[in-house]
Amino acid sequence: MRRRNFLQLCAAAGLGFSTPVAASATASADEADRELPSYDGPYYIVFNASGGWDTTYLMDPKGINEINRLYKHGDILTEGNHRFAPNAKQIEAGISNETFFAKYGKELLVINGLDYSVNNHSPCSRYMATGKLDSLAYPTFAALVAACNGPDVPLAFLTFGNYSATGNLVPLSRVPYLNSLNRLANADGVDGSTRHSYHDDFVSDRIERALEAQMQARIESNRLPRVERSQSMLYAAQLNSRALQRVTPFIPKSSPKERLSRQVDIALASFRAGICVSANLSIGQFDSHANNDTDQMKLIPELLAGVDYLITKAEQWKIREKLVVVMQSEMGRTPTYNKGNGKDHWSIGSIMFMGAGIQGNRVIGATDEEQFLVPINPETLATDKQAGIRVRPEHIHSALRDFAGISTHRSCDNFPLKVAEEERLKNLFG
Amino acid sequence: MKPFLPAPVFFRMLLIGTMIATLRFTVGITSCVAATDQDGPACFVADRWFADEVWEKVGKRTCLKCHNASGDASESAFVLQDPDRDRTRRDAVLRKNRLAFEDQLEADVDGESRLLQKVVGGLDHGGGEVLQAGSTGYRVLQRFVRRLNGKPDPLPSEVDDDPVPFFDGLVMMPPRQLLRRVTLSLVGRLPSHEELSKVETEGLSALSPILDDVMREDAFYERLQEAFNDILLTRGYDGVAEGALSYEHFKSRLWYQELDPNRDRKSDEKLKYSHPEMIAYTKLVRDYREAMLREPLELIRYIVGNDRPFTEIVTADYTMVSPYTSRGYGVFEQVRGKFKDTDDPFEFVPTKIPALTSRNGKVQESKTGFYPHSGLLSSFQYLMRYPTTETNRNRLRVRMFFQHFLGVDLLELAPRTSDAAAITAEYDVPTMQASDCVVCHKIMDPVAGLFQDYYVVDAKGVYGPRKEGWYEDMFVPGWGQEALPPEERWRALQWLGQRTARDPRFATAMVEHVWYILSGRQPLSPPEDIDDPMYSAKHRAYRVQRNEIERIADRFIEADFNLKVAFKEWIHSDFYRADGLATEEDDPRRRVELDDVGLVRLLTPEQLERKLMAIFGKKWGRLTDREAQLNILYGGIDSQEVTERITDPSGAMGAIQRILANDLACRHVAADFSLPAEERRLFPGIEIDVVPGGSDEGDRRIHQAIVHLHALILGRNDAPDDPEVQRTFDLFAGIVSDAKSRPEIDPTESYFCQSQREVTPRDPDPHYTIRAWRAVVTYVLRQHEFLYE
Repeated sequence: MRRRNFLQLCAAAGLGFSTPVAASATASADEADRELPSYDGPYYIVFNASGGWDTTYLMDPKGINEINRLYKHGDILTEGNHRFAPNAKQIEAGISNETFFAKYGKELLVINGLDYSVNNHSPCSRYMATGKLDSLAYPTFAALVAACNGPDVPLAFLTFGNYSATGNLVPLSRVPYLNSLNRLANADGVDGSTRHSYHDDFVSDRIERALEAQMQARIESNRLPRVERSQSMLYAAQLNSRALQRVTPFIPKSSPKERLSRQVDIALASFRAGICVSANLSIGQFDSHANNDTDQMKLIPELLAGVDYLITKAEQWKIREKLVVVMQSEMGRTPTYNKGNGKDHWSIGSIMFMGAGIQGNRVIGATDEEQFLVPINPETLATDKQAGIRVRPEHIHSALRDFAGISTHRSCDNFPLKVAEEERLKNLFG
Repeated sequence: MKPFLPAPVFFRMLLIGTMIATLRFTVGITSCVAATDQDGPACFVADRWFADEVWEKVGKRTCLKCHNASGDASESAFVLQDPDRDRTRRDAVLRKNRLAFEDQLEADVDGESRLLQKVVGGLDHGGGEVLQAGSTGYRVLQRFVRRLNGKPDPLPSEVDDDPVPFFDGLVMMPPRQLLRRVTLSLVGRLPSHEELSKVETEGLSALSPILDDVMREDAFYERLQEAFNDILLTRGYDGVAEGALSYEHFKSRLWYQELDPNRDRKSDEKLKYSHPEMIAYTKLVRDYREAMLREPLELIRYIVGNDRPFTEIVTADYTMVSPYTSRGYGVFEQVRGKFKDTDDPFEFVPTKIPALTSRNGKVQESKTGFYPHSGLLSSFQYLMRYPTTETNRNRLRVRMFFQHFLGVDLLELAPRTSDAAAITAEYDVPTMQASDCVVCHKIMDPVAGLFQDYYVVDAKGVYGPRKEGWYEDMFVPGWGQEALPPEERWRALQWLGQRTARDPRFATAMVEHVWYILSGRQPLSPPEDIDDPMYSAKHRAYRVQRNEIERIADRFIEADFNLKVAFKEWIHSDFYRADGLATEEDDPRRRVELDDVGLVRLLTPEQLERKLMAIFGKKWGRLTDREAQLNILYGGIDSQEVTERITDPSGAMGAIQRILANDLACRHVAADFSLPAEERRLFPGIEIDVVPGGSDEGDRRIHQAIVHLHALILGRNDAPDDPEVQRTFDLFAGIVSDAKSRPEIDPTESYFCQSQREVTPRDPDPHYTIRAWRAVVTYVLRQHEFLYE
């Protein structure tokens, strides 16, 4: 297919994705393979602590006003500019805060005093994932960045749970098992075999060319917008799926038993193969309405261990410098315990970042001694109780879009965040 | 069967209403005839400019939250109503709202409209600044003032009072293709020759009686159950299936254990799982659990199958039991006479179970002696799927209740507060005291109280009131403004079910469910951004679809809530039948209007398997086989963790489509040719020795064979000279020609794709035609018409 022509027609149809790179009908196999879509980073990973994490047991320690039962104010630890809650003595598995901050504090950007605005799981998850509270149509950041940076790679946006809306910009992919990628890697081989193909090569070429000609004919016909979109998506999905063959060498022989590590392995294999832009990782059960401390001491170390596993593996495979990692939850926990030793929903929380281009060893924003947020000056990012703004997800997402270099991409046009210029967080990521 | 199209009187009313609206737009204010005391003066249709501009862009979004009968501004002189609360009174409510706006806008304070000053925070407006001067919303109000004052509006109207009919320029699917779409969608089969013949001769009018028959087939009910599980997700409750029956109330829930062949055997004498007795026992347990999971969906099957009012999903004073599940409830002996086959685990009959008896002998309060069944509301499986906790206090259930049965997502547009944390800390009971919280909790918490007797929080059952009594820091149990009478407490869910069934939103929600089942997507939501240049186009698309939903809801109610009527109405509607554009459409606004038009649904793994079965006579199996792991990859759900189907194909799904096409062609092409011609599905009119270019007759037969394949697999009705047929012919001919120029090629079909595996000699394929036809089938199976509905 004449690629330029196809892209123009897709653009005319208003497609923010489905811009497949078709192998030339007459190209050799090698040439065709080189033309398969590939993405080379940066790779975006969003860790979701689903249910609402207790930030006072992690990056926003208090130890006063009976907010925490497991430590006192004087027990709070520091690592560079970070202050964090001690938990090495409480945990039974995973990574302690002490280990995590010692290892990653220099790279870590923490934003405390984030205003989720509401305190129900569903709207908060949506708000944190998209930067928009009152819309069901907005894409998550992970989907948006995939649509902008690599819509034609076969697993552009991977999700393992949590809010995963795509805004119809890019298909989402669920890959629950690592070995299932193996099964898809060679779709034209009998039972996935690389030695025995269903069709002779010249036959496969003929089939692809016929599909390509058919697509071209359909582009030139009168179609409903919905038909146009779906035909282009289908064509792109099948054509670009051939790039899945690149994932095989990167699939580990064994899979770890930890839930986040399994997700990390799938995401990293896909990144390394150049077939994925972003991944939405998730672990649940943070909603600790009963026995808050027990649950959070189990789950926070598990979350941090997942992040540590990601970074360690990425370093081993030499893609660490291409990773952008977001660690978030849809809400915080109240500063008081309820009768069941749990903590309920709190609309103030935190978010953490690390990775390529992010200046670490920084803490922006704060909560006070009662865990209310302290406003910040968006220009200086310093706390400013009098004239500061309440930092909300749209401020973070707006900065994140700038950071990822996608704010002016046309995929963002239909999903404006409408943050006033004077409220834009300057140099949030350094 | 009543006609499916709107009655002529509907059009007359619409025309009259439109004329009045147009007239009113022209003169600004019109007089209206008195209707009822409740509604005050009413018109056929409220002023469209007010409805689309003032109400949609300002009133609904900005004012209604506080200025309603129970809102913060309920004491003010400006009180509005929600016209969407009861669509049967929408026009009357809109008119009332318009009068309220008129009063406020006309009220002059220091030479300026009172309302215009209030919205920007003036005149001590309790809500402060809710619109910025110069904002779109503010400008709408300014224009409304000008219109009220009879001044010319300098700006063009956003509301097109004489729009082109919405479906103008669209091509509807021919009856023959529509029939195929319907039979595949609803019963997973191709149309019969008789059915095809009927629509060929009688056109669309033949469809209605065919649908009546289709909706009597067993396969329809399997589809119905699968689809309603997509909506309700009742199969996804935690734990083993019989866990829906609590230890506390159902002593016989583990009845199968008495049949365990190893029950009385010593450990060294126990039978292996591969022993026939153990295999049979394992099957029995599996069937029991499957029957438990199916129960709520069997209620839907029973109601629809017997043409009962679909309101029974919330009012049925019975539940469905099978021979196996009735043993779990301990009522098998009482109902065994109702079963045709007491060994059939999946034969379901309606029955009532006795009031629950606890292990300490205490019997559930019941004035009838029976458990107070109320359709799904009281179903153990439904309540297990959406359990309560100490902190959510049944609110999750209430949220799902509103979503499933009234089509309302209470959390969809959660109101933003200035400081939610401060509110939480400031009030003792924010949900009853803080207006930001009260907005939702006043709706939610009374209903939560109706579920108060279903308050087992350890997930080990369902029924059991809170030991300390129901919460006093919640609004009292009830429905809207109506408190639950104490004497109704024992049957609170039945009380709720009756009110739900009467609520106008119930019928609309069910019609929306049917649209979801047919299209795989939710109905449109109203556009959010009033500054969007395409707002009016998006709003029109929403409004037209909403009108259709409400029209069908009216028909559904008239038909005594027979759900089949909702299916038939949708299938006959332009929304289901729209299939293309008559001419190229370049107008961006029109394209936005049409953005969601056309069914265009990616088939689910289950639908795709059924379609393969219908076409090839055999399932592929790999899309639904758990071991194959392709179900979730291809966008399927597990009803628990993965609850939303993927509707756009990813690269992974593209790979699965290629695998499917390759594998299906491999399995069926040589096998089909090995059969006598009259028994073949794929190639009844062609043989492998017919090669392209050999003769005109040969080419004609090849074209005909392609026409047949296109019809069978794609549902196309091509002429032999159709360009699509020619493209497929070129593929076939090109492959045969290429093969001819490669003498090294084996003259037999691939070992993997021969008609019978591991049989020698392999299928001869001297002209490479078997493999070329296999390529053709692969090509066809990868096409949009096959993979989408």
